[in-house]
Amino acid sequence: MNLVNNCRIKTKDSASFRDPSGFVYTRDDVLLRQVNQVYEEDYRLLMKSGLYNSLVDKGFLVSHSEESLDMALSPEACAVLKPEFVPFISYPDEWCFSQLKDAALLTLEVQKLALESGMSLKDASAYNIQFLRSRPIFIDTLSFEKYREGEPWVAYRQFCRHFLAPLTLMAYRDTRLNQLFRVYIDGIPLDLAGSLLPWHTKMNLSLLTHIHLHAGSENRFAGKKASQGAAVSKMSLMGLLDNLEGAIRNMKLKKFSTTWSEYYDITNYSEESFENKKSIVKGYLRKLKCGTTWDLGANTGVFSKIASEFSGLVISMDIDPLAVEKNYLEIRNNKEENILPLLVDVTNPHPGCGWECVERKSLLDRGGCHTALALALIHHLAIGNNLPLDRIAGFFAGICDNLVVEFVPKTDSYVQKMLSTRKDIFENYTHEAFIKAFNNFFNIESTDKIEGSERILHLMSRRKTNG
Amino acid sequence: MNSYKIIFALLWLYSALIGRAEAYIDPGSGSYFFQIMIAALLGGLYAIKIYWKNICSKFDKSAKKSDEPSE
Repeated sequence: MNLVNNCRIKTKDSASFRDPSGFVYTRDDVLLRQVNQVYEEDYRLLMKSGLYNSLVDKGFLVSHSEESLDMALSPEACAVLKPEFVPFISYPDEWCFSQLKDAALLTLEVQKLALESGMSLKDASAYNIQFLRSRPIFIDTLSFEKYREGEPWVAYRQFCRHFLAPLTLMAYRDTRLNQLFRVYIDGIPLDLAGSLLPWHTKMNLSLLTHIHLHAGSENRFAGKKASQGAAVSKMSLMGLLDNLEGAIRNMKLKKFSTTWSEYYDITNYSEESFENKKSIVKGYLRKLKCGTTWDLGANTGVFSKIASEFSGLVISMDIDPLAVEKNYLEIRNNKEENILPLLVDVTNPHPGCGWECVERKSLLDRGGCHTALALALIHHLAIGNNLPLDRIAGFFAGICDNLVVEFVPKTDSYVQKMLSTRKDIFENYTHEAFIKAFNNFFNIESTDKIEGSERILHLMSRRKTNG
Repeated sequence: MNSYKIIFALLWLYSALIGRAEAYIDPGSGSYFFQIMIAALLGGLYAIKIYWKNICSKFDKSAKKSDEPSE
């Protein structure tokens, strides 16, 4: 039987190559997962043991349907799965503290349920978790293996590097330290985490054990062979998981405010102006009936929530970790399902990295959007970051078909504040120059002044051909 | 809890003994040995926690029964 016939377009996922159990690929734009024969026994156990159904029923694991073997990409296949589609892939350095914490707790819960069903997670990578309907979900169906009595948890070290170390650093040192994921894509080295953490974390039994002593032991016992008979009972494994869970549940972010997390409390325009702005944006979005919307500079997500009424999915991006934290907690508490808050610096978004610089894709390679919102953002890019208006317009033309964009003139008190401590080298920062730059790429469909302010909103649609 | 303090003291003693060895052969095996050691300790704590919960729940049940009005 020819298993690789009749494929029109087939592409193996650039991140799916480390595990011999199978891989992810697209065929005719449909995402599929091939299960290799070497993993067949474990896959059948996952399905027959009731673990798969239990995890899917609880919303912990993506569901899948089994497709014909003719859809396989290579002859090693024993099954082809079509997993539930996750519309946007995000990475742990783009998550706020509570997103990473929820992902960690989910991983531990999945491992506990797996042990109860006679299986165990063979990896505990943060990249195996995605956010679907605003909740974390495990996406790697091939991460489960048969549990063998006495064997330690093979993913323990990876769990500590991918979850415990970054969470501890965020909680006890600085919430921005999950950015270390950009350098260490296989998790934060424990000796590095230990050296960055405050001394008093050694007074916490769990952190002393799983980070400080763990890091020391990695070096002390490196390269030594395991002796026969050394075993970890299931009770001990449950104790290990229980201790990790307790440590993570108790972690909280230090309370402090940042520039943007309190933004809506300190805006320079009245409540009436703000309501007028909301009403104009709502009118624009109603016309567009968006598929996916990217809200860039979303802050705590006020306009993302408006966009969610008219969009399939809203990616709500902001540079401020506490604004993203507030946004996520509110969405989680309100059970809003189509908003994904992410920590993104528009001037320096996640690049392609890992093996051949494609193992983890850049933000822009993970999809553009039907509509982008750029509210109270352009002056930060143009004046705060010295970005020329034509480059800003070009960027938006590369990511969206429609754009809702606010222009804040130099006379606005916020812009005045930005210019108060620096030389004004922004002669071209005028509404006319803004319109000219964006007109190269977009048709201006509507222009509306926000009542009681000098700010101007625009609805634009991208021209079919630029220039 | 006394058992907690004893385990904490043992771990501190261990931390003083491990020192640093610049061995970058395979840090994964170091983690493997470490897990075998600490899982036994944490498993013990977990067992005590479970038994303690069971005892508490039995007392709760009997207290509730005695609170119920007799017929």
